[in-house]
Amino acid sequence: MTTRPRSLARVGTRSLAVLTALLNASCAFGMQEGATKQGEATFRLWQAFMLAAIPVALIVYLLIAWCLVRYRRRAGDDPQALGRQFRERWSVEIAYTSIPILIVVGLFVLATRTGSTVDAVAAEPDLRVNVEAYAWGWRFAYPEQGVEVVSQPSGEGVPGPVMVLPRGATVRIVLTSNDVIHSFWVPGFLYKHDAIPGRTFEFDLTPTRPGTYDGECAEFCGLNHAYMTFSVHVVGEDEFEAWVARNRTVGAA
Amino acid sequence: MTTTAGRVVPSPEPAPPAHRLGPVERLTSTDHKNIGVLYCVTAFLFFLVGGALAGVIRLELAEPGRILANETYNGLFTIHGTVMIFLFVAPFGAGLANYFVPLQIGAPDMAFPRLNLLSYWFFAGGGALILLSGFASAGGGAAMGWTAYPPLSGLAHSPGVGPDLWILGLAMVAVSSLMTAVNLLTTVFLMRTAAMTMWRLPIFTWNMVVVAILGLVAFPPAVAGLSLLLIDRRLGGHAFDPLGGGDPAIYQHLFWFLGHPEVYILILPFFGVITEIIPVFSRKPLFGYTGFVMATVAIGALSVGVWAHHMFVTGVVDNPFFAAMTLLIAVPTGVKFFNWTGSMWGGRIWFTTPMLFAIGFLLNFLIGGVTGILLAAPALDYQLSDSYFVVAHFHYTMVGGAVFGIFAAIYFWFPKVTGAMLREKLGRIVFGLLFVGFNVTFWPQFVLGQRGLPRRYVDYPPDVGFDAPNLVSSLGYVVMAAGVIAFLVDVWISLRTRVPAGDDPWGGYSLEWATTSPPPEQNFVSMPPIRSERPAFDLRHPEARP
Repeated sequence: MTTRPRSLARVGTRSLAVLTALLNASCAFGMQEGATKQGEATFRLWQAFMLAAIPVALIVYLLIAWCLVRYRRRAGDDPQALGRQFRERWSVEIAYTSIPILIVVGLFVLATRTGSTVDAVAAEPDLRVNVEAYAWGWRFAYPEQGVEVVSQPSGEGVPGPVMVLPRGATVRIVLTSNDVIHSFWVPGFLYKHDAIPGRTFEFDLTPTRPGTYDGECAEFCGLNHAYMTFSVHVVGEDEFEAWVARNRTVGAA
Repeated sequence: MTTTAGRVVPSPEPAPPAHRLGPVERLTSTDHKNIGVLYCVTAFLFFLVGGALAGVIRLELAEPGRILANETYNGLFTIHGTVMIFLFVAPFGAGLANYFVPLQIGAPDMAFPRLNLLSYWFFAGGGALILLSGFASAGGGAAMGWTAYPPLSGLAHSPGVGPDLWILGLAMVAVSSLMTAVNLLTTVFLMRTAAMTMWRLPIFTWNMVVVAILGLVAFPPAVAGLSLLLIDRRLGGHAFDPLGGGDPAIYQHLFWFLGHPEVYILILPFFGVITEIIPVFSRKPLFGYTGFVMATVAIGALSVGVWAHHMFVTGVVDNPFFAAMTLLIAVPTGVKFFNWTGSMWGGRIWFTTPMLFAIGFLLNFLIGGVTGILLAAPALDYQLSDSYFVVAHFHYTMVGGAVFGIFAAIYFWFPKVTGAMLREKLGRIVFGLLFVGFNVTFWPQFVLGQRGLPRRYVDYPPDVGFDAPNLVSSLGYVVMAAGVIAFLVDVWISLRTRVPAGDDPWGGYSLEWATTSPPPEQNFVSMPPIRSERPAFDLRHPEARP
């Protein structure tokens, strides 16, 4: 008899392990993890929102399903028969109004916190990249390094320009457009920002994982919108220095 | 008709046979019922056009690679969006309102019958201009997206008369909406029958009151924005031209100040429709009538303060404020889900086709609503905005919600309007095809968005995770198209071989069910007493008096 609690405990820990593994695997809810410091914060916000949204949706679905099954008219029922003719239950109504308010207040707090993390700009960024969007391409200028990367004339099958960033550096992107509105989107960073002519926007990206990330124009900008792509290479510090040395065109700062 | 418990019920003598309108009369009669039918039929024709355009879009996107010219594709989604929003869903709601609001409040017609007809012709004329703007314009059609952001929609980037026609057409539709709004509000406020207090208004009518107020608030700034755009294009203005000291972001404010109330203008009528349907087929009163009306008014009020959540990624707005407003508006919408569930609780649910569509509405719209909450967080919006995630989200609200509401309304009220039933069995098939087809079409688009596919792309690279969801989505379109064809067959058969509906085939609640199908000119021969928000029910069930 003494083995029983032990085996129960074993079952317990095992199922807990399985549950944790399942949760870890499914907790992304389809979202990429975000390869920047800012993107990681966004990813955690996504998880929090999904962990709130899915149970709420499930409860509503279960209530609806319960009604449809339990209160369906069955074969042989009198078609004229009425349901229970109640019109209101103030306690229930107050509950289903106030609980959602509490939920959205909580979500608002989480959303604003993450928002200020993502929107925060460092006093002294490690690197500046001026990004100019135009129909239909990108110009990436590294003023301090004297490097400039420009799209080839864009169109179907033309590879986009490459922005090289050192891993771990706080990169200040200075974004503008010189014709119509575009949007600088790197899905792997979970971030986009519009480029609006006549305005300049500044935001920080701190890449945390080396790799190549696709970038796209996300705001419809006319004929070749779908081909206004670019990519971002996140590399180590040394590799970045080597790349700068190879591509320096203007007198270095 | 019948006499129940000594109470005289409408039309003791048989109603005169319905007068069949000739084509000229059809197009010029100011009877609100005729105008309602004109609106709905015209809107449905626009739906078929917009749906066909969607078919070409899905064909283009089924596989990577291009079959259309970029310009053609850009025109397709521009006109698809404009047609579906401004020429189908909104005017279909207006058509239902034209037909049923006077009936539901016991009025003989709308307050301003000729204004009513004029607003129909402004809508039809504006719609014709919008179609022309896409397909028959010298020097290039409208291909700047239905949002028409400058500078892209300026003359330099969108030459040709297409965008001008588009602006004029949309302005005409906006003016038409304003006329309808004034007309509806006057009708509801001044022409209710005796004892029809505001707290006894059927919910559909209540929702149309809020829609009309939203129209009055939101359309004038949009017309101003469109006018400035036209002035910039043709008369040398610089309102949105950064080189001339203007600011393109101002246009976005004006546009979305219409644009977001507009989505509630689109959905509220169909909230109203399913709120009529669910209690009727559950054999119960609406649960929480007062709370429901308050929630509708709250949605209307909040909806004019959420517009800039479309602009989180522009960097020119105060994101936390608009995030708060957007999250808050989820609350009254959530309340409605509990009203609907509560209305089924303890009922005797009769699964007719209109009820199936109403249930489909609940299942689909919940996903649209929940994903809307995700998009309300600016940081999440930074990733999801302008991606297919957003496309999926608003199709879940507009197709899964509004269009399912439209089909619910058609199956519910067709017998009242025509005097003939639609076929129930065929109706179930229509529902099945549309429900499955809809979800197969639009669920994969959430996946596409998360994988990083921006909207309005004519093409996408192969082998990066975009192929399979796009193909599945296109197959889903075929299923939906089959559903629409089955629906047209249903209408055709039902009108050819008429199964008489009688005055009240469903056991309806509001006043339209207490008159003949179709109702006579002036709508009522006699008026039942009004004791609650469901006078037709009270008439049949004096024992269940509130």
